[in-house]
Amino acid sequence: MDTLKIRDAKDVEDAVRAAVASEQPLEIIGHGSKRLIGQPMATNALLDLSSLNAVVAYEPNELIITVQAGAPLSDVLSLIDSRDQQFAFEPIDTSALLGTPELGTVGGMIGAGLAGPRRIRAGGARDHLLGAHAVSGFGDSFKAGGKVVKNVTGYDLCKLLAGSWGTLAVMTEVTLKVMPRPESERTLLLRGLDDLTANRAMTSALGSPFDVSGAAHLPASAFRADIGGLADLGSAGEALTLLRLEGITVSAVHRAKALAALLAPFGVAEILQDAASAAAWGAIRDVRPFAADGALGAWPVWRIVCPPAAGGALGQALSRATGGDVVYDWGGGLIWAALPPKPDAQAALLRARVNAAGGHATLIRAPEQVRRNIDVFHPQQEGLAALGERVRHSFDPRSILNRGRMTRGAAT
Amino acid sequence: MTIMMPASDQAVLARRDEIVAALRAIVPGEGVIDSAAEMVPYESDGLMAYRQPPMVVVLPDTTEQVSQVLKYCFEQGIKVVPRGSGTSLSGGALPLADGVLLGLGKFKRIREIDFDNRAVVTEPGVTNLAISQAVAHAGFYYAPDPSSQIACSIGGNVAENSGGVHCLKYGMTTNNLLGCEIVLITGEIIRIGGKSAETSGYDLMGIITGSEGLLGVITEVTVRILQKPETARALMVGFAQVEAAGECVARIIGAGIIPGGMEMMDRPAIHAAEAFVHAGYPLDVEALLIIELDGPGVEVDELIGRVEAIAQGCGSTTLQISTSEAERNLFWAGRKAAFPAVGRISPDYLCMGGTIPSGALPQALARIRDLSEKYGLRVANVFHAGDGNLHPLILYDANQPGEMDKAEAFGADILRVCVELGGVLTGEHGVGVEKRDLMPEMFSEIDLNQQQRLKCAFDAQGLLNPGKVFPTLHRCAELGRVHVHGGKLAFPDLPRF
Repeated sequence: MDTLKIRDAKDVEDAVRAAVASEQPLEIIGHGSKRLIGQPMATNALLDLSSLNAVVAYEPNELIITVQAGAPLSDVLSLIDSRDQQFAFEPIDTSALLGTPELGTVGGMIGAGLAGPRRIRAGGARDHLLGAHAVSGFGDSFKAGGKVVKNVTGYDLCKLLAGSWGTLAVMTEVTLKVMPRPESERTLLLRGLDDLTANRAMTSALGSPFDVSGAAHLPASAFRADIGGLADLGSAGEALTLLRLEGITVSAVHRAKALAALLAPFGVAEILQDAASAAAWGAIRDVRPFAADGALGAWPVWRIVCPPAAGGALGQALSRATGGDVVYDWGGGLIWAALPPKPDAQAALLRARVNAAGGHATLIRAPEQVRRNIDVFHPQQEGLAALGERVRHSFDPRSILNRGRMTRGAAT
Repeated sequence: MTIMMPASDQAVLARRDEIVAALRAIVPGEGVIDSAAEMVPYESDGLMAYRQPPMVVVLPDTTEQVSQVLKYCFEQGIKVVPRGSGTSLSGGALPLADGVLLGLGKFKRIREIDFDNRAVVTEPGVTNLAISQAVAHAGFYYAPDPSSQIACSIGGNVAENSGGVHCLKYGMTTNNLLGCEIVLITGEIIRIGGKSAETSGYDLMGIITGSEGLLGVITEVTVRILQKPETARALMVGFAQVEAAGECVARIIGAGIIPGGMEMMDRPAIHAAEAFVHAGYPLDVEALLIIELDGPGVEVDELIGRVEAIAQGCGSTTLQISTSEAERNLFWAGRKAAFPAVGRISPDYLCMGGTIPSGALPQALARIRDLSEKYGLRVANVFHAGDGNLHPLILYDANQPGEMDKAEAFGADILRVCVELGGVLTGEHGVGVEKRDLMPEMFSEIDLNQQQRLKCAFDAQGLLNPGKVFPTLHRCAELGRVHVHGGKLAFPDLPRF
């Protein structure tokens, strides 16, 4: 397979136009950190954006950074960290989960749109993409959004690009909103709650005025693997419920105390301080209980998004029905489920229950043969799916870009 | 009216009686309005300089009726203009002479309040403020707070992606939505999202939000609600130069503080507001900042101290800190009344709404001053300082021949300045008809074509709200053509590995 090393946005236009002319679909990659996610594609060449790696502008006082899409995420995170800023949506590092070495690029982070624990408070990748330059499947460079945090001029194309897995356009440059990194964090730790009780505790915390920025629950079974960042906190056989408070020190301390009082009916909370708290949330964000090199490394992993108060019951039912393990984030609104291997990754059973709870599920980790035979992305109601396909067609009518990655059967 | 709208379809106008009868068969009784006198309230929205009676007004009260009305219009090739409360400041709900005005005002019911999932499911005609009021007893509120919140509808908020003074910290409408139901022009009902944090597939809710009624008609909205902050306090800080005020804003953000609200007013705006509400604003300053911190008491007290030190470091000449709710509200009273206050000192005014990078504020204000001299029209500036959203109010007298045209030209020049300084045409009011013809200042033809292709995916005949947002309308077939460039040689000139 050809690898086309892109030097500038014009190269992307040329490559896409040539691909249209020769009817050769392209796979778009940065560092390739998330290539294992999605339906297997039918592409003839790799469009490698890793050389488009410059920081174009960083304006900490305007809360924006503009970078080329191939910029390494690790470099950009270091840069904004040096000014005490961060991407508030807490992008997940999929390397442990997928067993790939790379953290990836900024373009990949946006294309995948996988947000971490703070999504409940700060929003997702889609809420932080302010502007983009991209090349459509027509081979045209177009601009979406702007370079300011407040903008309603024209359609908000950025929302579509975030989480589109490279199937709409090739982003060449993105402008992202950055936010101050909190001065301090505290995490309340409750031990031994069952899934339903933990769900209620998290609901109570998220309905409080204490501005909770993380609400996760790890059932006891999640600890069968050795988990960096969490290993110190629990031993096998004991569930952990974690609630995070961030901000200026005096406020985080105050709210941790107040929240502990509110949650007293659920037990006596231990309080983790800055580094210990950060390590725990890093492990939750990156789904370390299901790491590829851990005890459940061979199990397929699903990412389920559902109404948060329904999470406990859904997760419990799934683990009972399948013998799998679950980890809850977003107060129950995000469930990571590792299920014992089956040819369909237990898709039929899982999706029936997820649909009943009003959620949707994406298969994040599974062997290629499994991903080929089931819908990796959640099947949608007919009208919505047709509308989504018309939208895709409006950007890339010939399916030149990441053909078939989000739609089963579209690769052929 | 100085703006060209799409030519009326004479064949449709000739069939008006038949169309009205067909609509009456779908929406019985008072739900169809066709008398000239009764249609007058629908002739314009919040941008009152533009008026146009619609062909007929339809006020359905069920999604099924909306669906049938749209299906009928689609099949008959009739244009449709959706309308919520009609508070748009950009003419987004301006009717068309040959179009059906589809009002959602009867959709006034909150369908469900779900505190456990922190969500409210509501019909689109419910006002923004009514949502907050419905959940206030449990300490919750809906965060986006456009200044028209007492009147504007949540459906309209979605269509315009409305903001408000608190959106720097709490986001705009798009950041606070969980789900919606829309009806396409074909009559097809589509539900997106629900009470989950994310929707599945492409983020179609994200694209519908702020689409100004061009993609679909919103018939249900699910919003996220938040607990009210424990307390809020405000600082009122005066500066002898605009530059110093701008520097203060930059340093506050640079220090990692995101205030609940951060507003700036220039001298003319300060004087107009003070004369109107007597808020105790200093009259000998060039710029006034109102900075509100919210959260737990201990946090607010600490941040007030930090902001005070930053302001003094930037050379503030006056500084007051609210010590009571009454005082905090007084600080805000002048800012919130800035528009009517300016309305008292001028027969008419035009409110613009571009966004600039905050750091470019001194430059922007200097350019606006120059333009003010050039056009011979006064201007007062209020500014959402934290996010760079500028609201120049251009003072004019519509009874003076030519003055309105001059004010509009002045406003257009201000927006050009915003784009030139790295900003955008509109931060929260939308494009509508008002800024439609300025879109090429910000977007190339290719950019606009891609946006219109997206429109084609929702409304291939261009029947929903035509004449808004896009200066030139293209046929979808023409936009959809893929031009095959060059020969068949794959990937010329690219390094291969």
